[in-house]
Amino acid sequence: MPEAAIDTVKVLRRIGYKVEYPEEQTCCGQPAFNTGYWDEARPCAERFVRVFKDADLIVCPSGSCTTMVRTFYPELLAASSWRADAIALASRTFELSEFLVKVAAVTQVGATFPHSVTYHASCHGLRELHIHDEPLQLLRQVDGLKLIEMVRSEECCGFGGTFAAKFPEISAAMGTSKAESVAATGAEFVTATDPSCLMHLEGILGKRHAPTRTIYLASILAQQDAAQSSAQVKP
Amino acid sequence: MHREIIRRGMDSYDVAHLKGRARIKDWEAARQKCQEIKREAIDHLDRYLLQFEEKVIARGGHVFWAADSEEACAYVKNLATRLGVRTVVKSKSMVTEEIHLSPVLEKAGIKVWETDLGEFIVQLREEPPYHIVTPAMHLNRGQIAKLFREKLDSGITSDDPVDLMAVARRKLREAFFAAEMGISGANFLVADAGVIAISTNEGNGRLCTSVPRIHVVVTGIEKVIPRLEDLAVLWPVLATSGTGQGITTYGTLIGGPRRPGETDGPEELYVVLVDNGRSQLLADAEQREVLHCIRCGACLNICPVFRHVGGHTYGTTYPGPIGSVLTPHLNGIKEFKHLSYASSLCGACTSVCPVKIDLHHHLLQNRRNATAVGATKSSERMMFRAWRSAMLHPWMYALGGWSMRKALRMLYGLGLAGSIVDPMRVWNRYRSPVPLPSESFRARWRKNRAAN
Amino acid sequence: MPQTEKAPTENSSRARILDRIRAGLRIAAPEPPAMVSERVIFEPVIFEPISNPLERFQQECAANLMECALTADSGASARRLSEVLQSLPAGEIFVQDDPSLRRLIEMTTELTAPGRVIRWSSEGPPAGASQATITLAEALIAQTGSILVTASCGGRGASVIAPCHIVYATTGQLVPDLTTALSRATQERILDRNSFACVISGSSRTADIEKILVQGAHGPRRLVVILQGER
Repeated sequence: MPEAAIDTVKVLRRIGYKVEYPEEQTCCGQPAFNTGYWDEARPCAERFVRVFKDADLIVCPSGSCTTMVRTFYPELLAASSWRADAIALASRTFELSEFLVKVAAVTQVGATFPHSVTYHASCHGLRELHIHDEPLQLLRQVDGLKLIEMVRSEECCGFGGTFAAKFPEISAAMGTSKAESVAATGAEFVTATDPSCLMHLEGILGKRHAPTRTIYLASILAQQDAAQSSAQVKP
Repeated sequence: MHREIIRRGMDSYDVAHLKGRARIKDWEAARQKCQEIKREAIDHLDRYLLQFEEKVIARGGHVFWAADSEEACAYVKNLATRLGVRTVVKSKSMVTEEIHLSPVLEKAGIKVWETDLGEFIVQLREEPPYHIVTPAMHLNRGQIAKLFREKLDSGITSDDPVDLMAVARRKLREAFFAAEMGISGANFLVADAGVIAISTNEGNGRLCTSVPRIHVVVTGIEKVIPRLEDLAVLWPVLATSGTGQGITTYGTLIGGPRRPGETDGPEELYVVLVDNGRSQLLADAEQREVLHCIRCGACLNICPVFRHVGGHTYGTTYPGPIGSVLTPHLNGIKEFKHLSYASSLCGACTSVCPVKIDLHHHLLQNRRNATAVGATKSSERMMFRAWRSAMLHPWMYALGGWSMRKALRMLYGLGLAGSIVDPMRVWNRYRSPVPLPSESFRARWRKNRAAN
Repeated sequence: MPQTEKAPTENSSRARILDRIRAGLRIAAPEPPAMVSERVIFEPVIFEPISNPLERFQQECAANLMECALTADSGASARRLSEVLQSLPAGEIFVQDDPSLRRLIEMTTELTAPGRVIRWSSEGPPAGASQATITLAEALIAQTGSILVTASCGGRGASVIAPCHIVYATTGQLVPDLTTALSRATQERILDRNSFACVISGSSRTADIEKILVQGAHGPRRLVVILQGER
């Protein structure tokens, strides 16, 4: 969803970074890779490395894409002429929340979001990138935000990429379990580090006519009140 | 109702598991130690198996190496018929399920009693175990009481688990004392002591290996561990991961048939070491560590797919994440690759595995192996080839995105969401439709840049 | 046709399997992940060290739903044994034939009551209908509240046949943890002198029905430890 990217750019600019979006980028190759088609994924990965290799830092509004680059590119491109570049690139590629907290060393990004929010720990971020606390640290600094913990926050939402297409009933059942955990919190919003989780959850919640809405983490951090927005210096 | 029963079972495991974990000061160190023990064992598998064999034989036991399930079953069957066995009592062993031993014995006219309560129950129902640790977790007490009334001629009116257990105990006591042969599995084969180690709670395994005059152990070759002291960490970890206990009630160690002067015990001990594809998996250096599995069940307990789907749906001896990883190696990738796809790759299994097997990455490797041998649908391969072309050309990528959005918008506008012509119909069956943005990020970025 | 073999060489698959294993292992596995540097210096402490084994043993017994009775001397032990036996239905009691148990039995008044038959382990294994078994232990393990028994403790059936198993032990037999118990077992070659040993940490149980814990499955419902010695 474009909002994920738009809001990511907004937040990064607000804390003082110059943001570039290489227009030739397409996809990191994960869908093919995860389905076992590594030969088909490889050229996409090589292309990605080529497109981004001159960037100082790469921020990705998605834990799963970041995982693809950091965790899997070295293996996928082990025999490729792009191998060394891929490894170098991997060390400069970050998911948004870990970038903000660990690289930019900020948790206060000047955001206001006076709503109750619960956090779903997306699997790639949690188990591949070891992102545990960073999103919560950021959310706690958001003005007016009430953070409500959900039970089984670390349980998979059931999207899993092509899994949702191949095993739709299981995917939906897992999503329903997650929706029930969300509903139990009574929160107005549920957020996560992966827009794909949120898209899947939004679909499930919508089908159940549940009141909770999904919102990507950057979109919360991008929100400001009138005073904050006018105080912003335009980059 | 089925999901509810499973869910309650899983939830009680969650609570117990955390309590069990609290007894271990440094859980990560425990996992690391267990991984090292199993790695040492598997990396020197031949040496440790020979050490184990030598000691068992020196004490008067017999060791038979079976290349595959047919050979293992034939050996046990011939043994039983040669020794005049008419009744067998069996304690839990996944390997005996894997090789389908009971049908072979029954065809030879031998009565086989499953004595583990959960296994006893599913045996009466003539279905396979649901879960490697709790085989009957998919049934409630009412169903079990009814089963006992029907199949055991029991007049039981109560469905209290205590009373149900008493019925099973009485029935199976008769079997323990009548049987000529007891068959068990082994959790570990301890090389330096030359003993098999069996971890149980119920006591049926104890009776199977004490009362009948012949004891047969059926085990995979990968169960080996180097030293008796290794059990000091493996036993608590196995129990914690499997059921949330600090240790199982009985940690039994058997090194041979009864010795002269001992009060009781089997007169003969036979250990059947089963290969059945394991030595082949050993040769797969990338996935060799899958042989480290101690069959604790933790990956099943945590897997959200398993929670929703349950053991029988897998249709294999070993269900859950370890089953999905292992079965293609034991039974062929073409037939069982689909199991590796029945996962969202969430990685929870890997995070709980007490021997640190990288389970979810092995699932990914199985998927790669499946496409490499052409075991996936050619239409799917074509689709990803087309996808790749689109990804290599940004104009195609942009055009694809734009036309998809346009087409979906039109379809939904015509009220055709979820219909046969809707490419997202699988999605839309269970979820409300994805909101379609009016323009892509890329288009917006270009517009903004042009404006500045 | 494979039959029971006296020598390993009669099992033709044996050599083939060993060859396959050796061939497989010649293929190098990927390097294991680098270990954390502290491990090189300190062995990480996996289990909390046990400062008071007796206290820990009693706590674990309680958690395991075992009964642990501390007694000061054999007189107190005999009285305790009497109490336990009084609570059991009439029937055979199986006892490990050992001088200390012979002495204990002589002092236990309950055992002279009618309906009580004693079968010593030297006479044979326990009957399926025994009401209780009384044995010694090889060791007690504080960490897990366990008793270690071997075939020398009255045989294999003694710790599993009857609904009540009574262990007569002394505080001197207490070891802190599993590591100590198992390494001692190795040093003393317990498994060469006994075909069987068992670490028992409670009475038999099952949770196979709706994950509800039921005490007393196929083995004993009650495990009683009469622990004699200094507090």
